[in-house]
Amino acid sequence: MIKFTGEHLLIGQIGNFITLLIFCSSLVAAFSFYKATVSKEILEEKPWLKLGKISFIISAISVVALFLTLYLIIYNHYFEYKYAHQHSKRSLDMQYLLSCFWEGQEGSFMLWGFWNAVLGVFLIKTAKKWTSPVMVSMSLVQFFLASFLVGIYLFDVRIGANPFVLMRNEFPDAPVFQDPEYLTKYLTDGNGLNILLQNYWMVIHPPVLFLGFSSTVVPYAFAVAGFWKKDLVGWVRPTMPWALFSAGMLGLGIMMGAAWAYESLTFGGYWAWDPVENASMVPWLLLVAGIHTLLIFQHTGHSLKASFIFISLAFILELYATFLTRTGVLGDTSVHSFTGEGSTLYWHLILMIFLFIALPVVVYVINRKQIPVNNKEESMNSREFWMFVGSLLLMISGVYIIVLTSLPFFNKLFGTNWAIGKDVEYVYNRIMVMVAMIIGLLTATVQYLKYKNTTRKYIWGKLAIPVIIAFVISLLITLFGDVSFDKYGMGFLVAIHMAIWTAVYAVVANAMYFITVLKGKMKAAGSSIAHFGFGLMLVGILISSSKKELVSENRTGLAIPGLKDAKGRDENPLENMTLIHNIPTPMGDYVVTYLGDSTEPKNNKVYFKIDFSKIDTVKNTTEHFMITPNAFMVKSEEGTQLSSNPGSKHYLSNDIFVYITSWLNTDNVKDTASFRNVPIKNGDTVYYSNGFVLVNKVLNANKNDNKDLPLVDSAWLSELTVMSKEGQATQVTPAFFVKDGQPTFKTDTVMQQNLILGLQRAENGTVQLAIKESSSVMRYITLKAYKFPWINLLWLGTVIMVIGFMISMYFRIKSKLYVA
Amino acid sequence: MRYNKKKMKKVHILGLLFIAVVIAALISLMGDLSTYDSIESARKKEGKFVHLIAKIDLSEPVVYDPLKDPNLLTFTAVDSLGFTTKVIYKNAKPTDFEKSQRIVMKGSMVGETFECKEIVLKCPSKYKDEQGMQEKKLRTVSQLRK
Repeated sequence: MIKFTGEHLLIGQIGNFITLLIFCSSLVAAFSFYKATVSKEILEEKPWLKLGKISFIISAISVVALFLTLYLIIYNHYFEYKYAHQHSKRSLDMQYLLSCFWEGQEGSFMLWGFWNAVLGVFLIKTAKKWTSPVMVSMSLVQFFLASFLVGIYLFDVRIGANPFVLMRNEFPDAPVFQDPEYLTKYLTDGNGLNILLQNYWMVIHPPVLFLGFSSTVVPYAFAVAGFWKKDLVGWVRPTMPWALFSAGMLGLGIMMGAAWAYESLTFGGYWAWDPVENASMVPWLLLVAGIHTLLIFQHTGHSLKASFIFISLAFILELYATFLTRTGVLGDTSVHSFTGEGSTLYWHLILMIFLFIALPVVVYVINRKQIPVNNKEESMNSREFWMFVGSLLLMISGVYIIVLTSLPFFNKLFGTNWAIGKDVEYVYNRIMVMVAMIIGLLTATVQYLKYKNTTRKYIWGKLAIPVIIAFVISLLITLFGDVSFDKYGMGFLVAIHMAIWTAVYAVVANAMYFITVLKGKMKAAGSSIAHFGFGLMLVGILISSSKKELVSENRTGLAIPGLKDAKGRDENPLENMTLIHNIPTPMGDYVVTYLGDSTEPKNNKVYFKIDFSKIDTVKNTTEHFMITPNAFMVKSEEGTQLSSNPGSKHYLSNDIFVYITSWLNTDNVKDTASFRNVPIKNGDTVYYSNGFVLVNKVLNANKNDNKDLPLVDSAWLSELTVMSKEGQATQVTPAFFVKDGQPTFKTDTVMQQNLILGLQRAENGTVQLAIKESSSVMRYITLKAYKFPWINLLWLGTVIMVIGFMISMYFRIKSKLYVA
Repeated sequence: MRYNKKKMKKVHILGLLFIAVVIAALISLMGDLSTYDSIESARKKEGKFVHLIAKIDLSEPVVYDPLKDPNLLTFTAVDSLGFTTKVIYKNAKPTDFEKSQRIVMKGSMVGETFECKEIVLKCPSKYKDEQGMQEKKLRTVSQLRK
């Protein structure tokens, strides 16, 4: 047995103890709340309820302690722990230490557990008569989350992944662990955080997303509790503010992720229909559908079944999303590469999903005869009819997205090998543009309808003005907005325009509703504010996506419309442009120059200075700015790799967005080409691969016979003209000096020609031209640049929508009607 | 209740309509589906858009010269069955390209070469939990220092 030095084992043991404590206390809590729920008499119920509350609060406090324990390990750089070693390193900035948490599976489950605990404690304090049935679901979730972290062995199968495992226990065969001082000798630093996560959005996006994510269980818990306690109507009221909270937070979290993708991923956009994005969006769609059907029920008594189904599905799909993104079943389709923890997590999550499907199914089947149904048919002029249509549409678009996203999983199940073909984004977009069109229309018009029935006169009286205003604005956008995205033909372009029209209509109509119908009263304004924000998001998405412009359009050779370009390439434009150091290159509306780069040695980050100038026809610079994208230099056995971070220039109406796709770091390149020496005299011509060098003049000067040379012993100077095949002439003046017997060279380079020229003195005292053709003389970068117009509408719309959700929630909690 | 049984409710008609729309959307999707193929089976359906799962053959040159053409990467791919093909990718060389353990290429066979429209890399650096890599690293570290 080796006695290892320098390890901090106590903190890990504490962590393991805390994990087990959460595991046990949440199980006790679930059982106690269950007993409290099923007990018939208050005397029997009370002690169980008390025990449940105490156990859950113990597990909640333990989750916080667990969080702190792991944080201390990361903060203190205890690299004997696998989690710290894998996700952190000493040079990591303080603010990113938190991001280390969510990089790993264990940390994200912990974060989920943290929010679940906070929400649970909140429910214990506020849910009153609903406490025990609701807390059964909450405690079960807590129990499952703890079980993902325990890492105990059950008949040789490891259950969960423990965040406190030691490196030496994980890799017992590695020779370093034969050395008792391995920690001070070898494991002195960690692997560090994935550089994509070293972004400020990654500090705040996961906590918000996970709050939204974990809060979807609360409406679910109320729905199940309602049916379980046979209070088939009563659960709707307390569910409402929670559903609004959840939809608001989840929406905000998703869009923060979009902002992160926009700013630090290099696929040039905020949304790529990536499985991870889809999987978090679908529960949101279901939740929003559920909120609308709940509203219908509250006002008309319709749609109770639909509400129950939507609200339950939202949480179940949230679990399914975890399954898709965490177990590796998506495999090759996601740019977010999540680890597969292996088959145990796979079955572990399947078990969890089936349990949480079973709960609502069982209580639904038991009560199916008692569910109140309003058999009076909805009028076509009623708000509830069209709200239901909208909810259904949201659900169906969710189904479409989740089916496509699950293709790799279906392949696995059925042994097929299907994949979405050529253009993943279009497969989604062509359906979603239709959905946006209808949703925009509904969002605007349905606000003006009343529940049960609305007279035609009322509708047209109120709607006339917003319709006219929206029509004028939309017409202006279509006529002068230059939305001409025709990559997929006229049909899609028309669809985009129609969607823009309805989205503008949604914005205008909801603003007008707030002013003319609600007269600015905040109490009922939540929905029009949320819908106004949502409309703005739609406008922002439609315009920024269809007007996204490739600035670094590269057409080598002449671009004649309708003809193939010079290199015979059919699909244009190609996206990458190479910029040679200090050579202004036209790119889109700009002339762009790569001015240089600077390295921040601490974390191997390189900043590239790229100058953008707009030059008008009379050669005046009308606009001038600098964009500084950066990149991490990741050193590895295979050489230095680049991991790029975009740089951007923000305007109110558009963003210019640049990122480096390739960079030749001259320091790293071994120059394989060598100098070729050619004796020269005045008037000689020396050939190279792409032209020739004219020797205009060669001068030899000596300290003894030339008093202009006090600093050196002797000098050979030259004046040369490099003539390229293309007829470009460049003057160069390489030279050669000797001082104190030591030679010094002044070489000259012709960037465009990959040419280095120098002078040499031959053995016999004559002058030689040293000529080298090399690609390494070039300092150059390859980049992509995009212009995103009106993306700020999307961000602004998101914020307003979330505010709308929160206002609705606030007034629902305040109004006595909605208290549990 | 009785009234209800005689006539379908609008909601039901609506439901059926929506289901029809979904089915139509999914059917239209079928045309856009492609398949995962090996190099050999992709050769058999030349010109058809497929997904290839392969590795980069590092014994053959990986050519990317941004000075000549920043939108041209050529290399050789080898799949698990041992078949190889030349690949042309008209875009910049992805980061960590040579490091990737496996690549998924979307594109089609044109003659002898695979014209690739999109590459998804599976990099060990992103799979931080991969134990083998960790162990390899630890072994090399210990060899260097001993």
